[in-house]
Amino acid sequence: MTAYVIRRVWQMIPTIFGVILLIFILFNWVGGDPAQVLAGKISNPDQIANIRRQLGVDQPYWVQLLIFVKQVFTFDFGRSWSTNEEVSHIILTRVGPTLTIMLPVLFITTGLSVLFAVLVAYVRGTLTDRMVMIACTVAMSISFLVYIIVFQWLFGFILGWFPVQGWSESFWKNLTYYAPLPIMLAVFVGVAPELRLYRSFFLDEIHQDYVRTARAKGVPEKGVMLKHVMRNALIPILTNVGIALPGVFVGSFLLEVFFSVPGLGREVVTAVNRSDFPVIKAVTVYLAIITMVINLLVDVMYKFVDPRVSFK
Amino acid sequence: MSAQSPLVQIQDLDIRFRLDRKSEPFHAVKGISFDIPQDATVALVGESGSGKSVSAMAILGLLPENAIVAPRSRILYGGRDLLRAPMREMQQIRGKELSVIFQEPMTSLNPVFPVGEQIGEVLRLHMGMGIRQAQARAVELLNEVGIPNPQLRVNSYPHEMSGGQQQRVMIAMAIACEPKLLIADEPTTALDVTIQKQILDLIAALQERHRMSVLFITHDLGVVGEIADRVVVMQEGEIREQGTVDAIFRHPRDAYTKALLACRPRLDRRPMRLPVIDDFLKGEGRVHLEERRRGTSASDAIILEVKNLDKTFFLKEGLFGKRAVPAVKDVSFRLAKGKTLGVVGESGSGKTTVGLTVMRLHEATGGEVLFEGRNLLSLTEREMMAYRRRIQIIFQNPYASLNPRFTVGEILLEPMRIHGIGKDERERIDMALQLLRRVGLPEASFHKYPHEFSGGQRQRIAIARCLTMKPDVLICDESVSALDVSVQAQVLNLLQDLQDEYRLSYIFISHDLAVVKYISDRVMVMNDGVVVEMADSDEIYRNPQQEYTRRLLASIPKGLQRARELET
Amino acid sequence: MSAILDHPPAVAGHHSPGLWLLAWRRLRHDRVGMVSLVIVVFFLLLMTASYMGLVASDWSQEKGVSYANPSFLAGAENLEAKAMEQRAKAAKAPPVDLSDVDPLAPRYKEWEERAKKIAVTEVKRSETLPLGGDKWGRDVLKKAIKGSEVSIFVGLSSALLATLIGTVLGAFAGYWGGKVNDFLEWFYNIFTSIPYILLILAFAAVATSTGKFGKGIVPIVLVLSLTGWTGIYRLIRAEYIKHANREYVKAAQAIGASNNSRMFHHILPNVSHVALVQLSQYTVGFIKAEVILSFLGFGVPVDMVSWGTMLAEAQNELVIGKWWQLAAAGLSMAVLVTAFSLLTDSLRDALDPKLR
Repeated sequence: MTAYVIRRVWQMIPTIFGVILLIFILFNWVGGDPAQVLAGKISNPDQIANIRRQLGVDQPYWVQLLIFVKQVFTFDFGRSWSTNEEVSHIILTRVGPTLTIMLPVLFITTGLSVLFAVLVAYVRGTLTDRMVMIACTVAMSISFLVYIIVFQWLFGFILGWFPVQGWSESFWKNLTYYAPLPIMLAVFVGVAPELRLYRSFFLDEIHQDYVRTARAKGVPEKGVMLKHVMRNALIPILTNVGIALPGVFVGSFLLEVFFSVPGLGREVVTAVNRSDFPVIKAVTVYLAIITMVINLLVDVMYKFVDPRVSFK
Repeated sequence: MSAQSPLVQIQDLDIRFRLDRKSEPFHAVKGISFDIPQDATVALVGESGSGKSVSAMAILGLLPENAIVAPRSRILYGGRDLLRAPMREMQQIRGKELSVIFQEPMTSLNPVFPVGEQIGEVLRLHMGMGIRQAQARAVELLNEVGIPNPQLRVNSYPHEMSGGQQQRVMIAMAIACEPKLLIADEPTTALDVTIQKQILDLIAALQERHRMSVLFITHDLGVVGEIADRVVVMQEGEIREQGTVDAIFRHPRDAYTKALLACRPRLDRRPMRLPVIDDFLKGEGRVHLEERRRGTSASDAIILEVKNLDKTFFLKEGLFGKRAVPAVKDVSFRLAKGKTLGVVGESGSGKTTVGLTVMRLHEATGGEVLFEGRNLLSLTEREMMAYRRRIQIIFQNPYASLNPRFTVGEILLEPMRIHGIGKDERERIDMALQLLRRVGLPEASFHKYPHEFSGGQRQRIAIARCLTMKPDVLICDESVSALDVSVQAQVLNLLQDLQDEYRLSYIFISHDLAVVKYISDRVMVMNDGVVVEMADSDEIYRNPQQEYTRRLLASIPKGLQRARELET
Repeated sequence: MSAILDHPPAVAGHHSPGLWLLAWRRLRHDRVGMVSLVIVVFFLLLMTASYMGLVASDWSQEKGVSYANPSFLAGAENLEAKAMEQRAKAAKAPPVDLSDVDPLAPRYKEWEERAKKIAVTEVKRSETLPLGGDKWGRDVLKKAIKGSEVSIFVGLSSALLATLIGTVLGAFAGYWGGKVNDFLEWFYNIFTSIPYILLILAFAAVATSTGKFGKGIVPIVLVLSLTGWTGIYRLIRAEYIKHANREYVKAAQAIGASNNSRMFHHILPNVSHVALVQLSQYTVGFIKAEVILSFLGFGVPVDMVSWGTMLAEAQNELVIGKWWQLAAAGLSMAVLVTAFSLLTDSLRDALDPKLR
């Protein structure tokens, strides 16, 4: 297995380099001269000159690329073009609030989706099944924005159960007072597509030969579902969760924007608005690396979930 | 066999399948009745679409969700009607008193649980055993079905075992609770011939030891002859004939049964043409008495010579390495003009790879293929084009070898266009239609899509496609293996006619020894990538020299032979 | 093909239905699918009509009073409109007289005379509009129609471009394997290791900060398609790998068909239905994405209207009780996306029926 991990890490290197290259091309080449980009956003000419020097704008592209690579590996992207806060500091402080919301969302959504998917798969083909599926489709077609606007208005403004916006310094207060409404919102919206997906996983498994064997052995239908099918369906479900895991770090930027949560997602949106390239570049590159690491961990975990997987 | 009341009685079983909202339901089983006696083996025989599997599944209530069973049907067992038994009761019977083994053991076993646990599940469910007790019993059962090292293997996963071992596990699961009836649904069809024999012997031994009844579903009459006491012959949802094995084989009364018995190529005779079911159904069936002589002689013109052919596949492995998998090792043979070379072997023997490599569908790693003096393997792709039309191939799977989006016409015209055959489109269409007639298909097929044709018809289209280029050599890669017996006979007859008419040379690759003997002049036996033995076909079957060849020949189900012996 | 028609009647037999005709027939029997199809076609026609200027071309005109009530709420109070009126009246009050210091003072009378001669139509703002008005009194109904044109157009074109990119790349990767595959996989990995939203925002950042992606709706179409092709690449590549090993492709090789012929003449028709379903899914996804991006200000430019910009305005309107813009945009979008999603499902079932 060590050989497998080493090989994977080795394979990550060209990809990481590719990401760096992509971001570089996008922001340094296509994006171009910060002077033009920031025109109208920053009035101080000295500041702009400073930025240009740091980026090495007047130097040949490969030098600029080297500067960028160095930045990535020393975790030093300089300062935000708009707030002048250190970019590394920005990233580290914003991750917390994002995770405070996103981790509960991930767990609760997955749990509920799997539960409902099993129930719906159990009654497949019936009217209930079709109604639930259509309800999901309709629910998914309403824009997330509409949900946020309505929920905020209903639960925060009209009913006053939760604050409409805000965040505090205390973790516990955040978790129990400020986070619930956004979490509830994300779960409500997130269950529908996952329910559909997981239901299809269950149905795929139900039609397999080994299910027929289980029935032939006299296993009652409930046992077939909960033991045989579930255990197999867990494989694609975990794949799905694994794919969603990196997204947890960016969080739902819409939620953070609407609810004024000082998270990484909102930070990126603000950065886009202000053309604050260093922030965007840094977040992108680091999240790409985190994604690759998470993928590796998920793949390793596969061995325990799917006995057919072997590491060569 | 005992004179007691039958174990299971199937009465007027009628099953339809709801396909979609608009069409008529498909009538799969049209009111059949037969008994399964106690302590006996009943063979349920038929070709694909005969309804044999469906009937057997009905006994256990394992029909798919869209099945409709007619109200008048009954399946009587132990004093009750299984078709009307409540689900709870059925679940108690399944796996305990009535059990099943299926055709594809790999997919029939749950991939995520170890085999010991799966066997244990039946024991825990029906015999109330605890986990440890069930595990111990599972080890015993694995031993009984002939799995070596049962203590270790009990914790293995299905994918870690071979096909034969997986099937043994299925059998262990099925007999764990000492059932009264074991239903075996084509259990050996997916296995190699030598393994097939082992499994058949195992089932026969278990049947005797445990005194259980076996309902054996198969399309292979040879197998039937070996193991069955009674035979039920089905065709298109109806029973054509049923009786004891002796009666059926000695005095078949039904035309279809007679045809089934006659259509299989035999090991002892080689009629000029194989009888075909249609002939029998029209009442014209008879076995050609005139025999065809086959063999090669030193004076035969050689059209293709293969020397020291090597093909090794390279798979990625380890940190940076590659693993070499030699599929074909140092294979040499000659093909005489107008004759057939049969290539025989089990799965993994490399026989298919030889065919593909000769055609350069795989690139060989060594050796020469001499055609009219030129080494095909050394030609550039452009030079190869001229030879492409001279050597053609017919694949095994008729459902995959024709492009589903092309009409038959397009399929036939394409090669002609590529090689510039025929001076204009009009002439090409004429040729295509002519070929369709030659292979026995209606001209209207020209505008149809492959999915509208049966397996045998699709193979004919594939043959016609090859013929458009007027090849010299035709490689038949398991070309009749996926076809029903009756259709197989038709295609074999067609191939023979074409060889007679056009002086085609064939390389006939197959795992079916009887078919190979029938159609080949010379036979090459392969195992594990090397040529084990090569001789004229009569000679090799009469006097096999090598141990492996003998083992292979010994595995052929003797059922039909027994029938012949009874006949005389 | 005329050669076939020339042929004696024995052969000019019936042309059997191919895949598409069979699928169409199956779709016809799917009631949900047909209803969805009708709705989608309706929206597409609306979109075309709007594009050609036949309807809603005057959406930006401020026809109504501020926050005009919808027709079915004609009697309700409109405080904001009243407040606007007050302000307008105050603005019309005569200015302070500066004629003794103002050098232009003598000319005013002359100009006033001239101005009076020019006919100025003072548009009377209406109290109500069919679906109400927004803050500037623009007709919400017309905005919804125009907005749907923009949102659907963006969604559809991005989907087409993304499908094109993904299909071509997937075909090459799946068919050729080897180094071509390795390179394309590397390329794919780069795009997929960055979380999707982040990727879009990064592209959007560059698109909005510089003019380098083009003008109008071109930037957002490029952003969506350049980031979204990965899904279909994966699918098509898998399909090509599967089909390249199928016997009919080997048979094509055996008869001498070239690589291009095998890739596009043989395999592509067997794979196109997958691409079509994915295209449909993409359209839905990209419409939703456009709405969100436009909401944040990174989507369509400010002089255009889309469902996203409408929702951006609606956010603040809800607090003061004006809900019609939210309803109009939200509802029309929901109807279209539901219909499109159901159509995608029906399409998939029609093209590849499984007994479920």
